[in-house]
Amino acid sequence: MLEEGRISGGQALMLNITMIIATTLISAPTIVANHARQDAWLAMLLATLLALPIAWITAKLGTLFPTKTLVEYTEDILGKWPGKLLSLLYLLWFINICSVMIREYGNFIVDAFMMETPLMIVNILGTALAAYTVKKGLEVLARVNQIFLPLIIVSILLVFLLALPEMKLERFLPVFEAHWVDIFRGAMAPLTWMGEISTFAMLIPFLVQPGQARHTTVITILLVGLFFTLLVVASVATFGPIIDNMIYPVLSTTRVVNIAQFIERPEPLIMAIWITGGLLKISIFYYVIVLGCAQWLTLKDYRPLVLPVGVILVALSSIVARNILELVHFIAYVWPPYALLTFEFGIPLTLLVIALVRKQGGNGP
Amino acid sequence: MAALLSKFRRPRRLNTLVPKPGKSNGDQNNQSQIDPGHASQSRNLSSNIEDNLRSLKGIFHQCSDIIFREFLFAQREQIKLALIYIDGLIDKSQVSDQIIRALSLEVPVATDETTITKKNAWHYIKMRGLCVHQLQESQRLPDIVSAVLSGNCVLLVDGHPNALIVDSRSWAARSIEESKTETVIRGPRESFVETLRTNTSMLRRKIKNPNLKIEVLKLGEVTQTDIAILYINGIANEGLVQEAKKRLSDIKIDAVLDSGYIQELIRDNPNSMFPTISHTDRPDRVAAHLLEGRVAIMVDGTPMVLVAPYLFIEAIQTPEDYYEPAIFMSGVRVLRIISLVIALTLPSLYIAITSFHQEMLPTPLLLSLAAQREAVPLPVFVEAFIMEFAFEIIREAGIRLPREVGQAVSIVAALIIGQAAVQAGLVAGATIIVVALTAMASFTVYYSGSITFRLLRFPLMFLAASFGLFGMIGGIIAMVVYMTSLRSFGVPYLAPLGPTIIGDLKDSAVRVPWWAMHKRPHLIGQNNPQREATGMQPKPPQQKNN
Repeated sequence: MLEEGRISGGQALMLNITMIIATTLISAPTIVANHARQDAWLAMLLATLLALPIAWITAKLGTLFPTKTLVEYTEDILGKWPGKLLSLLYLLWFINICSVMIREYGNFIVDAFMMETPLMIVNILGTALAAYTVKKGLEVLARVNQIFLPLIIVSILLVFLLALPEMKLERFLPVFEAHWVDIFRGAMAPLTWMGEISTFAMLIPFLVQPGQARHTTVITILLVGLFFTLLVVASVATFGPIIDNMIYPVLSTTRVVNIAQFIERPEPLIMAIWITGGLLKISIFYYVIVLGCAQWLTLKDYRPLVLPVGVILVALSSIVARNILELVHFIAYVWPPYALLTFEFGIPLTLLVIALVRKQGGNGP
Repeated sequence: MAALLSKFRRPRRLNTLVPKPGKSNGDQNNQSQIDPGHASQSRNLSSNIEDNLRSLKGIFHQCSDIIFREFLFAQREQIKLALIYIDGLIDKSQVSDQIIRALSLEVPVATDETTITKKNAWHYIKMRGLCVHQLQESQRLPDIVSAVLSGNCVLLVDGHPNALIVDSRSWAARSIEESKTETVIRGPRESFVETLRTNTSMLRRKIKNPNLKIEVLKLGEVTQTDIAILYINGIANEGLVQEAKKRLSDIKIDAVLDSGYIQELIRDNPNSMFPTISHTDRPDRVAAHLLEGRVAIMVDGTPMVLVAPYLFIEAIQTPEDYYEPAIFMSGVRVLRIISLVIALTLPSLYIAITSFHQEMLPTPLLLSLAAQREAVPLPVFVEAFIMEFAFEIIREAGIRLPREVGQAVSIVAALIIGQAAVQAGLVAGATIIVVALTAMASFTVYYSGSITFRLLRFPLMFLAASFGLFGMIGGIIAMVVYMTSLRSFGVPYLAPLGPTIIGDLKDSAVRVPWWAMHKRPHLIGQNNPQREATGMQPKPPQQKNN
């Protein structure tokens, strides 16, 4: 195996949660509210429900091939060359997600906090830091995530707690104003993010007990769904449906905090959450890419690939979109059908069906 | 040209006292004096006392502190005895009374002296004559030499190829005092001293159990320093004990003058700034660590005892935490964590916010800061850097200077660097506050742990000055990633935080009461996890329902 480290079920759960929420949490409410207005919370709950099958398929495939990653078992299922081709597509998809994420990451930092710093510098520094984490291996990544994720969650809850005086429940009224089609369309973007759980297929063989994959994915989706719903509820309660005009509603939430003229605008907190969370998320995808490439090329070690992949990611991050509006548009409108129908749901489902029909896999049903 | 070059290349004699190569004649002799064990490797004693004395005198040539005392056994001219010891390392009255006086004067009184012959003298000396508590026999010359050097008396008997090694060690030693490096308000006061045996006895008094093992070995080719490995059999992980012994036995060095030598030679990450082996001079701390399943390493000649593995979390743990009430000490733990964060990040946070993110400050605070900084000619990074640097100088001076001038330093530090610098408009008052708070905060945690943080503060300040909060947080993340990748004797350095071990969090940011601390730390004490009986929570006596 390329990776000697093993992660526990709890660590995997936390990695999954970071993988989904870290970069999306800042802009999630906007994108959902675009369609569903004040019924965004309904869209979130719907997305959670719809994401459960994706989680189940990912885990099922993982338990059929408990010692292999996605890149490896496609070859088992489809045969050598079709498998290789599909794996390559997956790797390109991961590279795509990761470079979009790096762009999102850099853009937020530059837009919100460091107007005069070139975007490229932030992207390079962030990627370099992620590369360092990736080089240290999966175990270190999982442990670092274990240290930071609770801090991230506590901080974000703290921000909303501080903004509580500004929240008004009337802003949810009238309920069901949006057409159910709009609610459904609003649910698509969060569903895509939750669908990123399919990346976990690359990590399942490194679980101490790969059998835990099913619980892990399902619990991840439920927790993430709960968290996103809270996020949307808090944002809508603070600003009402106008959040669909904001790019970073969570940041805007912190800007209204003012308690006793003393605790004002706890923005450094949001910044810290973003920097750490985003970095961890980038590191996870970066790791998956590097590991997948090494397996695809049947290398003995994935570490030599860290630097070249990093260079590609940074370069791509600057050309995936021309500006933040284009990026948000991409994430909100282009990404969901693209990712969901193919790599997150469509292909895994097909793979699972083929595997089950051909009765492949170690411990079948 | 070539001739000119060769003139430059000619090896210069940097030390003029070193004899020129080829001329030396005393080399061999030198070697034998430095290294007695090697020169007389496999030689045994002969039965002729004069031969033995001659060879010993050859070995101890020009060692003015070695005493050769020759006398007669039971006043018999033909039974000659010789006592060899080092002046200053033995108990003089014991040697004269219980060895010399007993053998020469009291044996003839107590026994029928006519039965004593040269042949049975050995039995008479060993079983009847010597009034000492600890005796060993040896016939190997190197053993005898090392026994003499460690402060034992060696008794040679004419006609016997054996020597008696009498333990009469006693030398001027510092008495047990209060710990100077880790003071507590509540708890034992004693601290280790420089004598290994005293130190082990202090631990043995705390842990009266035959499972407390104290294994001794000698390290240092020249110094022949005694090293003791301590562990509790059945609690300490056997793999850990083996690993510690292996790492110690791999050491080949001329001298071990302090446990710091050992620490650097056996640690996991030799180039890391973070300590992965702790040192302490508190017996109660060592005892607690041993009872958790760790291994301690004592070095003769230093009060600092090494304990491994050392985890990062110990930086905020003090022995007192376990003696004072749990709730109170949990609060103090939280205070220490905040201090640790302040010590690491406050200056860089100050730099980042004042030079990049002014909008994050509340307006009144921002205005007052701006007013203070108006007259300051330096950028905030340079200003903070200079003040941090000045503080480090004061701290270092405070350690090195003679006690008598301590007051002068504190006046200089407080007045000149603090007040005068602000009045002269060189630094802003806020910078002084930041630096002072940082300095104080760094002293609330375990000293060796805080040195690292004090040093890492500077790169973080640099990052904050270059990239604002982003650089600073990025730096901290890199630090955490690095720390996560460290291990101390196989145990992840950041346990129980990363990997998170829920059960061990009972002794991290909080310290639960003793009745709830059922288990030893998971990764260290897994050999014997249960520490105490469960269900010991004290309850008021039950009232009868009538």
